[in-house]
Amino acid sequence: MDTRGGKGMITFVQLLVIGISVGFIYGLIAVGFVLIYKSSQIFNFAQGEMVMFGAFLMWSFLVPLGITPALAIILVLAIVGLAGYGLERFPLRPMIGQPILATIMITMGIGVFLRGLALLLWSSNIGIKFPSIITEETISIFDVPISNVTIGIFSFGLILVILLSLFFNYSRTGLHMRAAAESHQLAQSMGIRVTRAIAQSWAIAAIVATVGGFLLGYVRGIDFGLSEIGLIAVAAALVGGLESFKGAIFGGMIIGVAQTFTGGYVGYGLKEVIPFIIMVLVLIFKPYGLFGLVKIERV
Amino acid sequence: MRRVSGVFDISYIQDMTIFRTKYYSAGMVILILFFLILPVFGSEFWLTFINSTAVTVIALQGLNILTGYCGQISIGHTAFMAVGAYSSTILAAQFGLPFWLCLPCGGLGAGLAGILFGLPSLRVKGYYLALTTIAAQYLIIYMIKTPFPEITGGAIALNVPEVNLGGFVFNTETHFYYFIMIMLAVMTFVAKSLMRSHYGRAFVAIRDNDIASEAMGINLYKGKLLAFFIGCFYAGIAGSIWANYVRVISPDDFTLTSSIWQIGMLIIGGLGSTMGPFFGAVFIGALRESCVICGPWITSIIPQLGAQISASLVEMSFGIAVILFLVFEPRGIGHRWEILKESYRLWPFSY
Repeated sequence: MDTRGGKGMITFVQLLVIGISVGFIYGLIAVGFVLIYKSSQIFNFAQGEMVMFGAFLMWSFLVPLGITPALAIILVLAIVGLAGYGLERFPLRPMIGQPILATIMITMGIGVFLRGLALLLWSSNIGIKFPSIITEETISIFDVPISNVTIGIFSFGLILVILLSLFFNYSRTGLHMRAAAESHQLAQSMGIRVTRAIAQSWAIAAIVATVGGFLLGYVRGIDFGLSEIGLIAVAAALVGGLESFKGAIFGGMIIGVAQTFTGGYVGYGLKEVIPFIIMVLVLIFKPYGLFGLVKIERV
Repeated sequence: MRRVSGVFDISYIQDMTIFRTKYYSAGMVILILFFLILPVFGSEFWLTFINSTAVTVIALQGLNILTGYCGQISIGHTAFMAVGAYSSTILAAQFGLPFWLCLPCGGLGAGLAGILFGLPSLRVKGYYLALTTIAAQYLIIYMIKTPFPEITGGAIALNVPEVNLGGFVFNTETHFYYFIMIMLAVMTFVAKSLMRSHYGRAFVAIRDNDIASEAMGINLYKGKLLAFFIGCFYAGIAGSIWANYVRVISPDDFTLTSSIWQIGMLIIGGLGSTMGPFFGAVFIGALRESCVICGPWITSIIPQLGAQISASLVEMSFGIAVILFLVFEPRGIGHRWEILKESYRLWPFSY
């Protein structure tokens, strides 16, 4: 790779743009993570498996079953939303008030189960891709070649984030969920059903994960490695602070840019672990992230 | 601790004895005799199963001290096993150190790595600490894979030299069976004794409430780092034994998935009890073996399910087992065992 002169500058900008667009997907998945953490104080370690499972499900509706894209997308989102809603009833509701290790392991158990199920259903489908929706071509913006797929993903993610923030700021359901996140007891005394709000947050998280899986699968193909995105999304949420949606998106972008830069300039091995290096640094120096709430504990 | 009806402790030494009655001691002797003569009757398959389960139990005892007693959640335990395995192998292969020296060095290396990654535990806890240990898992495996491939063998497998203990070469299942069993007994005894000492009591206090325990005069930093050191030392010993047992190690043997499996075993067995690791490792080991045996049988009935059925059955049954145990028996099989023992002690009176 030539890193000198004007060409180096173009590579730099190109990597930056790719990083931001990939980071946007990370941020999107991290939003689902933050949503569940806010509403029920549970870390969802199954988020990555949900992404992978959603992508495979979307693929099997689109390609082997051959349903028209619009109908398939609506069907898949409805299915995963219902599944997320059901997950709250069992096994997550019995986990309210349980120690942290139990809640960690219950989500990891869900994740391992989903991976096993995906292995059962799709282990013979290797190297599959989504059918292309737009033909890939390169557009020059200020002499920087950028793929239109990158731009498409970026704008799609942006629309989704705007829709989500509108939902949380203006719709009745969204406001209920935010109230439940603030304090379970207070929300309950105001007549909000907290369990339903938590179930709705799981449903939305599952839908967001599936959309993220679709976007990511569109870029890099669908395989079982997609589930590793889950932990990268955790790192993104952590950088932004666990209580903040805009922090999650921002953190995702930081992680994405750091990944493409290390991938472009240093090497593939470091690219894999850079999210975790950032995660450890944040945990040591600023444990509550950029936009998170600092907790003070008393005995 | 409760005794059988009619047995009274009249001195502190009697109160602290592990095998207090004649029946306990006799039971222990019978158990030891059983395991001594087992290789004569057991087939190769059973010996392999027992050996790998026993190595897992050694690692789980460490995880039990760290997570079960001290409450510091670690989801990167196999990475510390990797540190132990690699440091003992490199010492043996590159520097030609004898096995009896490599083994504790492997443990020590893993313990020091544990202290390094335990440092954030001084500032963060709960979920945040769990994330640190996940990061440790990835960073340690990266350190093995990428920067020094000429020493660590990189991403490809590393050969482990043959174990030679004073001229005696370990090369059969049976040799390793005895060696691993002795190590398991020693390590379990040390863990049990440690957790009965004032360090163990301090660990339990830190787990139950760290700020309150600090107010009671326990040195929090020392306690947490000591727990990390001991827990990872056990992992290192287990990793070192594992490396010498299988003779070929690669970074892919020590994944996040296997760390999750270890935590799952501990939860199923029961956190914070000496018997917990045994129950958990045997339960999950048996579950895995039966899935592997059942897989081809199911494929022969329903061929559409594909070739990966064993792997997927193993994962699905593990996930379901962990979820069911957490919901219906969060204290694990160890708790059931305690109830059984208690009802034996009180028999025939249930009060």
